[in-house]
Amino acid sequence: MRYAKLPKERFTELFEVLERFGEVHAPVKKGKTFLFTEVMSPSEASLSYNRTMIPPKKYFVRPFEEILKVKVGKGYEPVVEEPKKVVLLGLHACDINALRVLDSVYLDEPEDPYYRSRRANAFIVGVSCEPDEYCFCKSMGADYAWTGFDLFLHDIGEVYLIRVGSARGEAVVESIKRAIDEPTRGDFVKLRDLELKRSKMFKRELNASLLPDIVDSLYESEVWAKFSDKCLACGTCNLVCPTCRCYDTIEKIELNLEDGVRLRRWDSCFMRSHALVAGGLNFRPTRLDRFRHRYNCKSSIEPKTNMFFCVGCGRCSAFCPAGIDHVDVLNSLWGG
Amino acid sequence: MNVNPYLPKPAKLIETVEMTAIEKLFRFEFVDEEDAKSFSYKPGQFVTVSVPGVGESPISICRSPTRPGPLELLIRRIGRVTNAIHKLKPGDIVGIRGPLGNGFPMEEMKGYDVLLIAGGLGIAPLMSVLQYVIDKREEYGDVMLLYGVRSYQEALFRDMAIDLVKYPEKTGVKAFLSFEREDPVFSKLMEEHPKNVRKGVVTVLFECADPYIKPDKVCAVVCGPPVMYRFVLKELVKRDVPPERIYLTLERRMKCGIGKCGHCVVGGATAIRYVCKDGPVFTYLDVLAVRGLV
Repeated sequence: MRYAKLPKERFTELFEVLERFGEVHAPVKKGKTFLFTEVMSPSEASLSYNRTMIPPKKYFVRPFEEILKVKVGKGYEPVVEEPKKVVLLGLHACDINALRVLDSVYLDEPEDPYYRSRRANAFIVGVSCEPDEYCFCKSMGADYAWTGFDLFLHDIGEVYLIRVGSARGEAVVESIKRAIDEPTRGDFVKLRDLELKRSKMFKRELNASLLPDIVDSLYESEVWAKFSDKCLACGTCNLVCPTCRCYDTIEKIELNLEDGVRLRRWDSCFMRSHALVAGGLNFRPTRLDRFRHRYNCKSSIEPKTNMFFCVGCGRCSAFCPAGIDHVDVLNSLWGG
Repeated sequence: MNVNPYLPKPAKLIETVEMTAIEKLFRFEFVDEEDAKSFSYKPGQFVTVSVPGVGESPISICRSPTRPGPLELLIRRIGRVTNAIHKLKPGDIVGIRGPLGNGFPMEEMKGYDVLLIAGGLGIAPLMSVLQYVIDKREEYGDVMLLYGVRSYQEALFRDMAIDLVKYPEKTGVKAFLSFEREDPVFSKLMEEHPKNVRKGVVTVLFECADPYIKPDKVCAVVCGPPVMYRFVLKELVKRDVPPERIYLTLERRMKCGIGKCGHCVVGGATAIRYVCKDGPVFTYLDVLAVRGLV
């Protein structure tokens, strides 16, 4: 790994170079929670934050977007989007790993051209974090991002120790070399000690070994109904999940009955319509079926990255209006 | 930007053939010659049909690639999009995406007997296999068709089915037909061909076909309503047909057809599959490993 060191008081210089790449988006405090949105200066960004409500996936698969233009009775044309360059500043390791999981789906053949273009036009800057009462990324093996970023900033006190993850990242570091120092052995020791400290801070723990088999084989466990009875089937967990990627497609026509669009929007496997086919047959007819489906999906392993489909970001637990905690559900299945 | 996999290619409705009160056979041709030339598929693959302004629906291809000509789709009028498709007139334009899905491994099946088991509309994707093995007769062993329908009125390809029963020498296919509801045409056929035609659901035909089913050299190809699979699988397993040579093609809700949108996802945490992309053709081995496949 290529390392660099940036004193915090010179962070503005990095910010200015990033701005030259594209719009800089970073976590900003909004009410009780955080939100990724455009920032015009470093001071607007909250780089020590717990989590945003809506994950960075919104930059790559939009909550609601047009994919085709429709001419009624004639046919379809693709919606061509002007590529927009964006810097996502301040992604946590879990969210970077979640993007890798999304890549495995959207960049798998045949590639999603919209996702591909937005991904290529996004510059990813990770930032180190400390776990709160919902984080369980360590259990899922997603607490460490070793790839999937251009730069990763480790807050080690007075300075950021930077891991450089790409040629683009290297070019950025190069362009602010007046502000950059070579890290010393002391800096690396500090990084080590802080990482060790962070590692011991996790309060939530989920036994991930054999997890897919436990979740799959204990399909008949009464634990599922215990929690699904409380579930409101609102789909919040899907919307806030950084790896949930199901989308629905809708076709709409204008009042002139000539032009229209085919849209897609984030969908939720908790909706009754999710597995419903024409004629009325539903392959997941009950809430219990849909509840188990989500936990099975999240507890499975993505074969290309060998990562769990759940990165342990804690959003589904933190924002569930019924107070259902992802780790509690699975730990109950473990007999806890 | 590469080719957009979400973009349907324009195709024109050439003609329709009335099949039953709710099913029609549609013949489409691509408007663009390049699209027509580049379209090649395997039996068991499917396409999506878009009606501009209405939406998109996944439909299996009902014709073997060995028979060049228009794209043939057998469509039941059952939902919003398929209702709109049924209202189309020759000359109307739709959008086609595909071919999608894996299809049947016709190469691997070479040299084996082929046992086709279809229930109702399940005949549609199996038609592509049936035509394929008839056209390449010398490459496959015995060909058997077990076809279950509700009644004469509701039977798809009923004339073909009757022909196959009456004149097996024409195609070399041993055809067996079951029907659930009494009617004069099929009852008469049953009198004339008691060894081939039975009253009941498709599984009653196994008894008729038993003399011809050789587990060591047969491939089973199954399609029907979701409820049918469990019963058919039981019969096949009872007859020692190896799990890797039992092929099923499955239905699920499919929106994108390319493994992105997530609606057709099945399985438990140890084995998640996209029916549109990993399927729609699965083997009984998959059924054993993937929870909820049938």
